Amino acid sequence: MTAPSPLIPRRLVAGFVAGFAILAVLPVGVELSPYAHNLLTSSFIMIAGVLAWNWMGGFVGQVSFGHASLFGVGAFVSARLMLSVHLPVPACWLAGAVCAGVFALAAHPMLRLRGPYFSIATIGFGEISRQVLTYWERFTGGASGLSLPIDAVLKYQLYWWALGFAVLVALASVAIRRSSLGLKLLAIKADADAAADVGISTTFYQDVIFMLSGTVVGLSGGLWASYFGFIEPSDMLGFDRSIAFVLMAVVGGIGTSLGPVLGAVVFVLVRTYLLASYPELYLGLYGLLLICIILFEPLGLTGLGLRVVAAVQRARRRRSREVV
Amino acid sequence: MTRFVDMLVAAVLLAGLYATMAYGLGLIYGVLRVVNLAHGGVIMVGAYLGWVLHERLGIDPYLAIPIVALASFGLGVAMYALLVQRLPRGAAGGPASLLLLFGVWLVLRNIAYLLFTGNDQAIRTAYSTQSRMILGTHVAVSRLVVLGIALAIAVTLQLVLRRTQLGRAIRAVAQNADSCTLVGIDVRRIYMLTFGIGTALAGVAGVLFATIFPFNPASGASELLKSFVVVVLGGLGSITGVAVAALIVALAEVFSIFVLPAYLTTTVGFLLLVVVLVLRPGGLFGQRVLS
Amino acid sequence: MAMTPGLRACSLGLLIAGAAALAACKPRPSQTAARDEILIGATLPLTGAEARVGGFFKEGYELAFDEVTAAGGLEVAGKKRPVKLQLHDDTSNQATAVSLADKLINSDKVDFLLGTYSTSLVEAQTTVAEQNKVPYVNGGGAASEIYKRGYKYIFGALSPVELLGTTLMGWIAAEQQAGKLPRPAKIALLWENTAHGKDFRTGVSEFVTRSGGAFEIAVDESFEVNGKDFSALLGKVKSAGADLFLADAHLPDYITLHKQYLDAGLCHKVVSYGARGSEQQAIDTLGKDSVAYVVSGVWWSALLADKIPAAKKFTEAFKAKYGGRTPEWFQALGYEAAHALFTAIQQAGSTDREAVRAKLAALKIDSLLPGGTLEFPADKGGDAQNGFVLQQNLPDGTSPIILPKAVATADGIAPNPRCAP
Repeated sequence: MTAPSPLIPRRLVAGFVAGFAILAVLPVGVELSPYAHNLLTSSFIMIAGVLAWNWMGGFVGQVSFGHASLFGVGAFVSARLMLSVHLPVPACWLAGAVCAGVFALAAHPMLRLRGPYFSIATIGFGEISRQVLTYWERFTGGASGLSLPIDAVLKYQLYWWALGFAVLVALASVAIRRSSLGLKLLAIKADADAAADVGISTTFYQDVIFMLSGTVVGLSGGLWASYFGFIEPSDMLGFDRSIAFVLMAVVGGIGTSLGPVLGAVVFVLVRTYLLASYPELYLGLYGLLLICIILFEPLGLTGLGLRVVAAVQRARRRRSREVV
Repeated sequence: MTRFVDMLVAAVLLAGLYATMAYGLGLIYGVLRVVNLAHGGVIMVGAYLGWVLHERLGIDPYLAIPIVALASFGLGVAMYALLVQRLPRGAAGGPASLLLLFGVWLVLRNIAYLLFTGNDQAIRTAYSTQSRMILGTHVAVSRLVVLGIALAIAVTLQLVLRRTQLGRAIRAVAQNADSCTLVGIDVRRIYMLTFGIGTALAGVAGVLFATIFPFNPASGASELLKSFVVVVLGGLGSITGVAVAALIVALAEVFSIFVLPAYLTTTVGFLLLVVVLVLRPGGLFGQRVLS
Repeated sequence: MAMTPGLRACSLGLLIAGAAALAACKPRPSQTAARDEILIGATLPLTGAEARVGGFFKEGYELAFDEVTAAGGLEVAGKKRPVKLQLHDDTSNQATAVSLADKLINSDKVDFLLGTYSTSLVEAQTTVAEQNKVPYVNGGGAASEIYKRGYKYIFGALSPVELLGTTLMGWIAAEQQAGKLPRPAKIALLWENTAHGKDFRTGVSEFVTRSGGAFEIAVDESFEVNGKDFSALLGKVKSAGADLFLADAHLPDYITLHKQYLDAGLCHKVVSYGARGSEQQAIDTLGKDSVAYVVSGVWWSALLADKIPAAKKFTEAFKAKYGGRTPEWFQALGYEAAHALFTAIQQAGSTDREAVRAKLAALKIDSLLPGGTLEFPADKGGDAQNGFVLQQNLPDGTSPIILPKAVATADGIAPNPRCAP
């Protein structure tokens, strides 16, 4: 593997900036239906969440099946603060994020496990969090959950909060990947023992990444709580939600720095479409999609896109050769 | 004192149920190093098979066990041949096999929903509400049968693995697949058979489950998670380990009522899972592959 | 080169997101202006844990809509307008119920909403209705917590479960005074970990506090919704030596819990599962002997048909449409919620949401519910207070009304004759 080139093709930077700009002014320029507005907002939140999941699952190669617990802790802490203490909403989000980050540190002893052992341990971690938080009904409202105060203005503005957040997390993903930290993570992913031999403290870097990942996922949980207006433990902390993070990353392209973005967009759109149009086939179609991706394109949509690009380039080269 | 005996009996019965659920998952992991995330789905399919045989054909659920075992064996072989086999070897650790089999589970769930709707079903027989007095405690007949079958499966599996040609081959493959190829064992075939047997065990667990609890297409998630706990505790891939671990989990859950609210007793199992993984990644009894 | 795939994927992602956004904001034909049809949205748990009950509510809704259609539409301001039900399946999942309510309001552009079933789902969904200022009439949400949030657009036809706890304890106290139950009586109180369960717990425990020592709560435990194994909980109940077994559970949990209750050889002088007990499904699954003498408090019973004209009319219409089947409270409440919304639309003379909301708030109509009239009192947050009818299952499979006395068809039996000494 060659060292990452310091230069990013200008076209891509331009594309990124243009995309961001378009999305930022979209609701102002065009009259978006509230439904589309909401869909985009939830996509942005999910993008941020799955990118942070990917730091752990993709960059370090530690596939977590328990990230829902961090998402849930962030959401419930910020919701509880909004309901009981009436702090400004962004402060509540931040507090939730910090709590989720600290909570992630509780996973410290699990970090020396690798492969399926780590994954199974995170399942246990997630289930414990879900059951305890569901039982703790004074804090979470039990299985009935919490309804947040209704704030139409905030819900409208959330679009930009979420967009900004997603873009920041995307930039952070690229930055981590390109930094020396990113290289160390790659070394840990390739061979933890060898990495330790050359002086990389595997547990320290995993702790750092898991905490960062937890903080960001917790923050996305807080935004989600504000966006949805209602949260309950079995949805926020359930096994299905943990799986959803894995699913988005895999669909988009696990381990690529920005591939999961695609996964999140597809996940939100497909889920919404299928649930409304084919509720009776929703799960099965999802399952088939998953099976096909795993069997035929391990890098997900990113891999598929790369193949298409490669094929186009090959065809172009061939044509230019013919011309010559 | 009576309360203690009551709880002991309850724990042993619960252990029977946990053990039947976990054998299949443990066997497949022990040999193929694949975490069968479709396990919960197969349990659900087994429950529906038993229910259909009972409702439509009037076959007693316990007599239906061989039929269900055969059918889910076929399902397992098909799953292996069509899907699992195509994964790169050693993919067990990666999310690939987990997600592939999770996809299978979603498909199974959807098929069951299309065939049987989402309503709760239960297998109801003449003896499903009967109970017997044992050690001064009421014990449901269906739970006793489950315990008996759990023990029978453990003994049979142990015998098959130790005494038969197939069993020896399975154990050899579990220990070192590469050298098996050298001595002429068809590793692919062994993998396929093991996956089939593991799935058959899950199917049987499904029938037994259906005689005790109501079920619907979404059932299986908590059974899968519980099986994880038992299999990890027993040392991934050890049959006796699974049986003993089932008893430990059941005892821990039942007796934790003294210190915990009833709601949180099932959490104890997951706590055990995490603690054991962290402290003894090889399971409570050390890593022994199919001993 | 490591960066290229990621960035490419990213720009592709932004492109897709942009395209999706553009597709979503394509100018739509403005439906609301010219639409003659009145579109009413609802979700119900047609799959998942509550699928069966969801189906019952659907029957109630369909009967109400069919009646209007048969009459040529709803007469609004002198003009007959067709009504249409836009129904989605919320899969018994709160988050899905919320997403679909958003879709109904903002994408399907429904005029009004009818409620889904089970308190937790209603509690979740009402937030969306209130946010969008869409009147929401439900017959499936019973926790007082739903109506304590100061919402203005939410109307409930179910009396709160807290009142059920009080009513049930009232009957028990009367039996105790008649000397049929011990004094003080020890209660095992089990409640599902939801607003519904907490409400029931509040009702019972406040009654116990006020009873001056006539009752004592020996077990007070919550349990997981859609739980599988209740043996730990029942073990605790057994060792507590309680006299009365009072639980609050939804239908699937009632069936599972009661089966394990019987397996464990338990028997109490009074057995109740709150609002559950007399359902046909429980009799089918457990056998009528097994559920005999269970006391339940429900919002409606077909036996009310003899006393309340609207109940008689509904029961007959239901039997005619559904092959002679006797309706349970689920269908009746679904029908009644739809009926109340229709009446308010007619009274408002338009489909203006504010006008209909005002009419709903001031509504007072003849009803099939106990008491015979339905209103949504503002001081109770828009929740009807019609009260409960207590029923007791008998070994012959019937469930006569035992309270209130005005509509009772039999006397309550206590202590439970199943518990042979």
